[in-house]
Amino acid sequence: MPIHEKSLIRPENLRTHEKLTIDGVDVSGHWSTFIESRVITDYNEALEAEIAALPGGENIHRCWQCGSCTNSCTVNAIEPRFNPRYWIYLIRMGLESELLRDKDIIWQCVSCHKCTYACPRDVVPEGVMKATAHWLEMKGHTATSPSMHFDREFTEQVVARGRIEDVEVLRGFFKRTRQPLMQDWLVEIAWRIAKRLPVKWGLKSAFSLLRKPRTRGWAKARRAIEDYIHAQEEEHEKALHIGKPQSRPRAANENAPVSRPSAAE
Amino acid sequence: MSKPILIVGGGPAGLAAAHALGSIGQKTVLVEKADRLGGAPILTGYAKLVPSGQWAKDAIGGMVARVEANPAVTVRKSAIVKTFSGQPGAFTATLSDGAIIEASAAILTTGFTHFDSVNKPEWGFGTFPDVVTTSQVEQMISSGRGVRCPSDGRKPKRVAILLCVGSRDRQIGREWCSKICCTVSANMAMEIREELPDCHVYIYYMDIRTFGLYESDYYWKSQEEFKVKYIKARIAEVTSDGKQLIVKGEDTLVKRPITIPFDMVVHAIGMDPNVDNMTLSAVFGVDLHRHGYIARKDAYGAMGATSRTGVFVAGAAAGPETIDDSIAQAHAAAMSALAAGRNQILQAAE
Repeated sequence: MPIHEKSLIRPENLRTHEKLTIDGVDVSGHWSTFIESRVITDYNEALEAEIAALPGGENIHRCWQCGSCTNSCTVNAIEPRFNPRYWIYLIRMGLESELLRDKDIIWQCVSCHKCTYACPRDVVPEGVMKATAHWLEMKGHTATSPSMHFDREFTEQVVARGRIEDVEVLRGFFKRTRQPLMQDWLVEIAWRIAKRLPVKWGLKSAFSLLRKPRTRGWAKARRAIEDYIHAQEEEHEKALHIGKPQSRPRAANENAPVSRPSAAE
Repeated sequence: MSKPILIVGGGPAGLAAAHALGSIGQKTVLVEKADRLGGAPILTGYAKLVPSGQWAKDAIGGMVARVEANPAVTVRKSAIVKTFSGQPGAFTATLSDGAIIEASAAILTTGFTHFDSVNKPEWGFGTFPDVVTTSQVEQMISSGRGVRCPSDGRKPKRVAILLCVGSRDRQIGREWCSKICCTVSANMAMEIREELPDCHVYIYYMDIRTFGLYESDYYWKSQEEFKVKYIKARIAEVTSDGKQLIVKGEDTLVKRPITIPFDMVVHAIGMDPNVDNMTLSAVFGVDLHRHGYIARKDAYGAMGATSRTGVFVAGAAAGPETIDDSIAQAHAAAMSALAAGRNQILQAAE
């Protein structure tokens, strides 16, 4: 059966049936092809406010759809589906189901900020992309991205001790992302380091791994930072109407306590 | 200087012309069809004006009081000009109330007529009580009653403003942009959001033409401070499910049809030529623009000149116009009329 305006029809909205009888009439074959309606029937008026409540999304309401962001976009040049202008519109009008169709592309923003400088209304589309990726993750639409895993491992160590241990960050990142420690490239690095017999570095690393040294007088700073992070998280969850019980699902191995005060202190 | 200048129409332009001429002692006769002065802002009951933010009854009311107190101005209300003859310096007009006016020149400040939304039946005006015009919302605000759904008096939760109702539409013979509706609608959207903070306001547009300084003060401000939403769509029809209004159209930016419920739909109605323009054209012997407004002779000669020497035009009589520009044009036409009355016709620059 020829379908006009086929470009407007999404394959997933086509419904065909091998055998179908409607009101006693056999409509098997061509006559059983139906297209699900693509009519927008309502706006989700909370969506824009939710994105605007996350860091980076504050200026989304300024957008007037000129397309400067998409035209200047680094990612759009190689992935035409990456369209900040379009997503900003979907968010502003509350077309959530449309937005979720692109959930696996939105996080690909490389933060080059070309859009930031192109935008005539100072929307800061890069920030909106960040906020949107954040929103998708908080709402459970996307899994925690590898970079987010890395950031968390890094941040948690800094918050806990005022410093990081390279080896520990790497280990923690692999653990969070469920990657094996024995990766060819890592083994190669370890081997090349070992060949130089860096005794002093080795001892220092081993000491750090066991003793987990802190920046001197860190406890006070740690509490202040933890309070701030906590308040921010609570604020964001509240803005997104996420209840505490089903708070952002943390990975099982995400065990480093950011917010719990340590007994050791 | 002995003969007065005839001014036809007591709206912002007519009031400005009468005041300008009166302030230098030139006698004028101001003829007004209605029983009071003020024109559309007063007769229709506009709320706050763009861009001053002053209430129409204060701003235009002040102009009325100023003219009525001016001894050089003779106001003749509830009257229209029936005949007009003669030449510059010696015109004779007879009014519907029998008065005969000897005038040295005439200025037509006859204004416009609001587009009647009944002429776009697919957008539901006249069919559903909660489909209203910008004029009606102006009245809701200026009367102090507030923005309410006419059907049951409830506060609307969601309002759609449709732009270009009676403008830029060849289907109904209106090929012009009415110039002020975008700005008026942005202003109105902010007023609605101010009165009803829980009410979401959507503006359906083809283009946004908040020209000049109105860009940041109205369009940007309505988006940035009042979170008014602009959707690029020309609405196909307004229907009802019995409870709410249903707005149908295509959201052109997502290439998707829309069928969205609203509590209230506002038509941003345009400015038609005054319904009396055919009569005015015949009485005063002035040509009309092909769209029915009073035609200007040229842009660079005597300001406000029409096809008839000694007869001038200012304001929305000559095309969709803002109040501010109508006032400015009236001052320019007053200068031209004064010169014409002394037989000193300004010529176009060579």
